[in-house]
Amino acid sequence: MKTFEEKWTAWVDGQLSGRELAEFEASLPDKAGSEAEKQSARKLRQLLRNELSLRTLTNEEFFSHQLRERIAQESGEARRTSAGRGSETSTWWTIPRLLWTGTVSIAVFVICTVLVMHEKNPSEESQYLTQILNARVDPVVSPNATVSMFEVKQDRVTVLWTEGLQSLPADYAAK
Amino acid sequence: MGGVSAYLIPVVALILSATPGLKGAETVWSGLVIAENVAEPQPIPAELTRIEGSLKKFFGYNQFQVIGQSQKTLKTGQEDWLATSKFFGLHVDARGESEANYVLNLKLYKEKELLLETDAKLSKRSPLVIKGPQVGSGQLLLVLVVQ
Repeated sequence: MKTFEEKWTAWVDGQLSGRELAEFEASLPDKAGSEAEKQSARKLRQLLRNELSLRTLTNEEFFSHQLRERIAQESGEARRTSAGRGSETSTWWTIPRLLWTGTVSIAVFVICTVLVMHEKNPSEESQYLTQILNARVDPVVSPNATVSMFEVKQDRVTVLWTEGLQSLPADYAAK
Repeated sequence: MGGVSAYLIPVVALILSATPGLKGAETVWSGLVIAENVAEPQPIPAELTRIEGSLKKFFGYNQFQVIGQSQKTLKTGQEDWLATSKFFGLHVDARGESEANYVLNLKLYKEKELLLETDAKLSKRSPLVIKGPQVGSGQLLLVLVVQ
């Protein structure tokens, strides 16, 4: 025993016939309104069938689609590969660059150290000049003798200068 | 490997060149020199070449002749030696060394008579010249050079 809704659906779909169709249409209170509603439902069904169903691709379209997907896939892989290689080779800290950096750093350090030490201790220059600590002349032999000392930094020569030593004859110049 | 050497050699050379005071055994030349003004001066001895300009400028002579000399290689810095001529003797007594120089005691003798005594720190970069007594028309000079 079908319910009214089942019979209504079957009627809209055109699946009732014969005696069953006649009895159902006789039971409709507003047959004209029901017919309009039936037509409206059919139009809606047709519209949905046209708009929502997947369009079947032709062979050419399917092949073209497959080809485009393949190309897009291979292009993506190529980009990823080149990006990966780039990240391996574009790193700045290669061994030669590390060596150069180390060399330059050491050179800068040594130069700065030398400059700082040179400016900080200007008196150290005298360390490389000969220094006379003291000098004595025998007062008995040369009572009027004096000594003085000076450094000539330009020539890096240190001189002990004596005056008043006893003069000697030329014979003393013998070898 | 060659590339590494190319980097290391300049670095090591740079460090060594910037490190002062590294020294091994050094030779000290000690000389008794007569400085004179003559019409035809003899060439200056090789040991005095590096200070020829200074000698001429300071003392005003045009000839420098070595009348006595000694070369001593210092290994411990405690050696002593004698440079002599016929009448003069220069006794040098090394009494230690520091980073850049030797501490020396110098005594100038005329025969057995002590004329002059001095203590000095002799730098290998800086010669020492001592003006001695007048001898005839010239001047006795004592020169010490680290070679």
